[in-house]
Order: sequence, then structure tokens, then C-alpha cells
Amino acid sequence: MVEFDRSAFIQKFQEEATEYLQRLNEGVITLEGDPTNRELIEQMLRDAHTLKGSSRMVGLLDISDVAHRLEDIMVKIRDGEMAFEPSMSDAFFEALDAIVFLKDNAGKDVTGQLDVPALLDRLSAIAAGGAGTATSTKKPETAAAPEAPASPPEHTEQPRPEPAPEPRPAEQTAEQTVAAPHAEEKLQARTQHTVRIRTEQVDRLLNLVSEVVISQIKAEQHARDLRAAQAVASELHGLWRRVQASLSVDASGAVGALSDDLAIVDELVNEVRSRLTHMLKEYSDDVSRASTVVSDLQEHSMAIRMLPVSTVFNAFPRAVRDLARQFKKEVELVVQGGDTELDKKVLEEINDPLIHIMRNAVDHGIEPVERRRELGKPDKGTIRLAARQEGDHIVIEISDDGAGIDPAAVKAAAVRKGYITESEARSMSDREATYLIFEAGFSTSPIITEISGRGVGMDVVREFIVDKLKGSLDVESEPGVGTTFRLTIPLTLAIIRALLVRVSGQVFAVPTSSIEETLRIDPAEVIKAEGREVIRRQRRTIPLVHLRDVLGLEALEDVEHGKLPVVTIGFSGHRMGFLVDAFVGEQQIVIKTLGSHLRHVDNVAGVTILGAGEVVPILNVPDLMANARRMTGRSSGRTRVKPEKEQGPRRVLICEDSFTTRELERSIFEAAGYVVETATDGAAGLTKLREGLKVDAVVTDVQMPNMTGFELTRAIKSDELLKEIPVIIVTSLEREEEKAEGIEAGADAYITKSVFNQDTLLDTVERLIR
Amino acid sequence: MRGNAVEEAVTIDSASSFEADERVRQILRERAESLAQADWEEEVAETRRLMLFRLGDETYAVGVEDVREIVSGFSVTRIPCVPAHVLGVINVRGEIVSVIDLAAVLNPGAAGQGVDSEDGSGIIVRSEDVTAMLVVDEIGDIIEVPAASVEPPLSSLDRAHAETVSGTVYWEGRLVAVVNLARILQPIGERA
Repeated sequence: MVEFDRSAFIQKFQEEATEYLQRLNEGVITLEGDPTNRELIEQMLRDAHTLKGSSRMVGLLDISDVAHRLEDIMVKIRDGEMAFEPSMSDAFFEALDAIVFLKDNAGKDVTGQLDVPALLDRLSAIAAGGAGTATSTKKPETAAAPEAPASPPEHTEQPRPEPAPEPRPAEQTAEQTVAAPHAEEKLQARTQHTVRIRTEQVDRLLNLVSEVVISQIKAEQHARDLRAAQAVASELHGLWRRVQASLSVDASGAVGALSDDLAIVDELVNEVRSRLTHMLKEYSDDVSRASTVVSDLQEHSMAIRMLPVSTVFNAFPRAVRDLARQFKKEVELVVQGGDTELDKKVLEEINDPLIHIMRNAVDHGIEPVERRRELGKPDKGTIRLAARQEGDHIVIEISDDGAGIDPAAVKAAAVRKGYITESEARSMSDREATYLIFEAGFSTSPIITEISGRGVGMDVVREFIVDKLKGSLDVESEPGVGTTFRLTIPLTLAIIRALLVRVSGQVFAVPTSSIEETLRIDPAEVIKAEGREVIRRQRRTIPLVHLRDVLGLEALEDVEHGKLPVVTIGFSGHRMGFLVDAFVGEQQIVIKTLGSHLRHVDNVAGVTILGAGEVVPILNVPDLMANARRMTGRSSGRTRVKPEKEQGPRRVLICEDSFTTRELERSIFEAAGYVVETATDGAAGLTKLREGLKVDAVVTDVQMPNMTGFELTRAIKSDELLKEIPVIIVTSLEREEEKAEGIEAGADAYITKSVFNQDTLLDTVERLIR
Repeated sequence: MRGNAVEEAVTIDSASSFEADERVRQILRERAESLAQADWEEEVAETRRLMLFRLGDETYAVGVEDVREIVSGFSVTRIPCVPAHVLGVINVRGEIVSVIDLAAVLNPGAAGQGVDSEDGSGIIVRSEDVTAMLVVDEIGDIIEVPAASVEPPLSSLDRAHAETVSGTVYWEGRLVAVVNLARILQPIGERA
């Protein structure tokens, strides 16, 4: 197991603690003048409490102890058991300085420089002192005397009516040199190395920076225009020279009369040329200087939002350990490239998909120990999580040394569930078959639980990565050796590469990460089949759809007919060709939202502003694919692939002894158009099935009289005639052992009543019976 | 109310000496003055500043406090798959602002004249955290009217229309409808 890395957190704690310490210091001073300020007392109590907790989290126990004593005192003050006396200030300051010292020297041995136990004693004495100035000041004095020669309470006995913050630090420094030699100076001279800024502010700044970048691009364009103008002026000048030369040969007659005007023209032509040349030089210099500054500005402002991936990765060893325990596997997580930096926004979104992929790796990838021994693999499975930068992308790989994905099993499951036909399966390569795991709702898992196999499938993970992170998710697997998921995401969410296409006279941007190919096809290559248009590429049939139809735009009449530009997009195991009017180009674009009014628009992920200030909508790939598939009639594999099996309403058998639950489930299924049969226990249900009741699924409780749900499941799954019927266990048993028993019995899904709701139940059943 | 006070004073008057009478008069005068003052101040606090604009033959208004800026000459980028009254978006110094065809909102029948023109006028308005631009035919004056003179929408209007108008005010012989920004600027596509 990877050692839990505290150092990153200590740094965070140091930043955080500085704020609290600053506030506590100010609080003590304010409290001297206003000892009953309730709000302040409560806030100081909270701050001391927070310090106590967070220092303990990062293992700085001395700080935690000191903060704990401060908290004790503040509790008593708050509860009115004692009053804050200005005489306590020094002990407070001493404690706060000690914390500063300990914090700055976090992890180092400072026993020689700071006597923490003595300080704790003094603070405890104050806390124990209760009300009354005399006792509270006397007690710490005696307690402190043997330890620190210049104990703080001594001079606190001098009356100090006004806060007078000025003289105190000087006195204190003198007195406390023994206790905390450098702490005081540090507190005074220390400059903040970090500033906390609200992310909104950074975003606003980045927004403005991208505007600057855009105007810089414009300026560069203007410089080019100016160069062209200067070239025209030079040409004019040259031409004029020749005209002038031939005129001067016979400078007589009519031409002679114009000689004054010609002299002026000559002067003007020269003037225009030299002015333009001068202006071009100045302007080009300015632009190229600004260009350097702007690109630096862009780079540095982007860097503001960059954080090392370890801020997310550090929590994973623990998560994997928990998962391993849950699935009764032995797994080690190896993390590599934790210092790779990534946009904070991406980091925030990346945690859940990674956890899900690792969960899959633990559940389906890594084999149980016994199996691994049989295969000659080490007992402990390894999951490797590695991040690295590749150009303007970050690649994160999650690989395991487990069983790998069996293409044959995936194909079989896909055919069984109606995603593909037998013939499609035969023509499919192993690699293509592996990608079937990204099919919506796909699972090869023999059982569906909340942990994996249902709910959040790989399809959801992939859609999230493509939609939210503008990245891609790929998988490579070798049966018996392991599986690698490769997540490629742009360095920042603010800038991506995009293909610009023209549709109905308007330009749209399509994120390059999801584009498979751009093609120019001959109209003759388009095959019309079953009222749809398709093309064949590499032995696969790709449906074609007009992008303008998906977007609901009108067709322009004067589109020239030649080769047809097509963008093929692969997503969730499907490929689709989108016909556009023209390719405009590929470039980096800055992503912006659609503004505060248009919160979510179908098919549109955002907009970008091109160099010329032109606003271009960025298309949302998952939406496009879903809408395109709906239009080509591929949205539902069920209706397309197996229409002949859909005979009448579907039937479900509910085995449940509780009347309420039974009727609840009945109403859920009836509302969804099912014909519902019920049985009050497992035995009655099994009898009905054996008597020839035809159902599409069995939904059963576990604890029932006569025959439990597990026994029923086992009976169904061991009966040649019944074993194809999906069994869904709905129960309040939530413990892992019970879930394991359900799996063992052969149930297809296991839904606990705590997460049980209409949608979960219906979704699960529909997924299993199609 | 003030009348009552005077009546009371008169009863006191009849039963008291001349000196007391003088004092009562004095108090009453002061009270009357202070009341008058308060009334006047209240009136000042309750005026509304409205920005007028023309849409076809009709004059409409928005509260000045909701107006962020006036834009003249803009190019709208159409966004597919949005409701018909959203013409698209514009780029205002890097900020993306959606463009609302107010005519289509107020008179759903007379929509679709296509305001892609560079010479239209737009009012960028805010409501809560939504900012959008209303396309209008002509921007008018800013007027100040007593708040009490803004009446509820005409009862003869149908309900859909009444929702888009928060009140009407009679001004210089015209009936001016104050548009209901909270309704018109409702965010689109908010995920539930």
C-alpha cells in the first residue's frame, strides 16, 4: 500500500493556519478592549477548534495540543465560567507564537527550542483558574516559573487598561527569546507567499486574457494588411518613377503645362510610400513585442489555475484499499506522475470518473487471490495510475494486471442484449468488441449491484469525459494480462482544438478529440438502404446524417455538388457520419459558455470567439450523437434488432411476502405497461413458473416464508427451462456477505431497498430483459 | 387624520386658558409642518425611473435600474435549437450575451422579421443573475414617474401577454407598458 503522503497536506495546513492565526492574534487584541464581545469569542473558539482538528489531521500533534488548550479556555469564556482578562493576552500570544513556530518548522524536531509541555501547563492553569484575576494570574506564574525565566504572567500584572498594541511586541520579543527564538521575528517580517483568490476572480481574469489574445490576433492581421498596403504603395511608386522618366524625356507641350501638378504627385507618391514604410515598421515592431508579452500573459494566467494531479490522486490509495476490502481482493495501487499539472476545473471533474474506472478494475479486472495463484500471478493485484503530459493534453492511464476483457464474452453479451446482431458480431474485430463496454447500460457482470454494473456504467463515464472534459476515453485489453484505460484530456478546459465546419452558411466548431475522420466522399459512395443513407468504411457501415438536419437549420439552395464533406464521429461505440457544407479549418479555440441566459441548449456546448471577433457555436458531441441516432432510427436497439420477439406486453413475476411492498411494486410495473403476476413467497413463485407461467423477469424479496429469495434464485438458475429468466433481488439486506450470497445464487441484479425507487427498479428490469 | 387632530385641539381650546391655547396652536402647527414634510419626502422616494423605447407603433419601458448598457450596431450569431424568441448571442467585450427578440415575446404573431441587422438598437438588461439584450426599434428618453402611477397591466390583455408586462403607465398621452424582466429573462434550459 502506498504511504499516505502528508507533505502536500501540511503545506495546505500551513496556508490555512496562517489565516486563523492572524485572526486569533487580532481577536486577542480586540478582546482586550471589548472582553465580552460574544461574536468574537465564538469565532475565536471556532478558529481554535479548526486549528486543533486540522493540525491533528496532518499529524502536527503539538499544535493540536496547544490549540486544544486555547479552545478549552475559549469554551469557559463563552460559557461564562470565566471572563477574558487582559492578563491572559500574553499567554494567548505565547501560545499563538508557539503555533506559528511549530507550523513553520513542521516535521522538524524543535524540542530544544521550544518547551511545549511547559506551555501546555501554563495554558491548562489558566483554563483551570476559572473566574477571578488574582487566582488566574497567580497560578500560571507558579506553574511557569521553573520552566521559563521570563514567564509572561509577570508583566501582565502591571495594569494595562488600553490595548496598546505598539509596545507589546517589543516586550514580548525580549521575554520570549527562550521559549520561541525566531517565531516573533517571523510573525513580523514574514511576507505571504500565497494569496487565496476566489476561482471566479481567476476565471474573470482568464476571460479578459482571452480577449487580449483575440485582439492580439487581430493586431497581427492588421500588420499583415498594412504590409500589403505598403507593397501596393511601393508598386505605385515604382510605376510612377517609370512614368515620370518617360514624361521627362519630352517635357514639352501639354505635359509641360502640368509639370507643377506632376511635381506635387511625385511628392505625394513618395510621401505615401515613406509614411507607410515607417508606419509598417513601427507597427510591426509593436505587434511583435506585444505578441511576446501576450503569449507570456496567457501562459502565466493559465498557470494560475493549474494544480498537480496529486491533489486528487492522494486520496486514491485509501479508496482502492476500501474497494479491495469490499470485493475481497488484494490490490496495490501504484501512482505515477502525481506532479503533472492540470487545470483546477478539470481536476474537480476528474475524481469521479477515475474512481469509477478503478472500481471497475477492482471488481471486474483483478481476479480473486485463489484464481491469481492458479494463474501464477502474484497474490496482490496491481492497479497503476499514471499521469503525464503529451503536448497540450494530459494522458491518465489506469491499468490493471487482472483478467482483461474477453472479446468473445463481450460480443455474446452484446448480442444477447440486442446491441448488435450475430452477423455484426462476427465481422467485428476484437478491438472493436472491447469498445462495446462503452455501450449505454452495457455490463458483462453476471450481477448488477449499486457498486458497478448498473447505475453509472462505463458509457456514463465516457460521456462525461467527452462532454464535460472535452477529452476521450480509450481501452486496450489483453485477456489474462490486464486492461488499460487511457483518458486523454486537454490541459485546460479553456482551450481545445476544434474543426470548424460550415453548415447552412454558418460556421460551427466540433471538438477534434471526438472526430474519427474527415472525409470527402463521392456521392456515388452513398448507399441508400431501408430509407437511410450509409457509407462503408473499413468493412463497417456508417450511417450518414446531414448536420443541418440535426441542428434544425434550413438547407441553402446553392450548395455546389461535388465531393461531399463528411465528419465521422465515434462515440460510445457508435460511429456516425455528419454531412456538412464545407470544412473551414482546424484551430485552437477558447471555450466560453453561452452566457447567463442560455443555461443549457441542446447540441450546443458553448461558443468561441474567432480572431475576427466572430462568435462560433461549439457543438456538443454526445447530444449530436443521441439526436442523430434518433433520426436514423438507431436510438433503440430493442426495437430495431429484435422486433419479432416483442409480442404483446411484457410480464413480470413479483415474489414478495409484504403486502405493501408487493402492491407498490405491482403499481410501478403496471404503470409502465407490464402484466404483473405475484406470489407471496419463493415456493409459490417457483410453482407458478414450473407450471408454465411465462414471464420476462422475476423480482423477488429475500426474506420470505417457505423459500427465500436466494433459494428461489438458485432454483430458477439451476432449472434448464427457467435459467434464462432474469432474477432481480430487491431487499433490505445491505451487508456485503448477503450481496455475495445473491451473486453466488446467480441473481442478475441486486437492489437494496434503501436505494430502491421506481426508476432504479424499472431501469434495471428493462435493461435485463431486452 | 390631521383633521381629527384639529378637532381635538378645538375641544381642548374651549376648556383651557389663552396661554394653553397658544401652546396647543404652536404644537399643532409644528405637527402639521412635520407631517407635510414627511409626505413630501415619501413622494420623492417613490418615483420610478423608466427607460422608454419604441417597438413598432408602441412605446414600452424598462426600469432604469435594470439597464446595464445600450448597444447600437451588433452582429448576432444564431444558436441552433433555442426558442424562437432568442435570436442568438452577441459578444460584448468578451462576454456572451443572448439576444431576445422582444417583439416576438410581446406579440408572438408578429415575429420572425429577422433582426440580424447591424443597425438595430439593443438594451442590455439584467434580472437577478441573468443578463440579456432586448432588441428594440428605437431607444427613447428616460422618464421619472411617481411609482403609484404605474398601474397593473390592462385587464383586457390575455394572460400570456399580461405575464410579460409588469405594469402600465400613462405618459404624455401614451400608454406605456413596463416589461416584466423577471419573466422575459427566465433562464433557458435550466436543468431541474
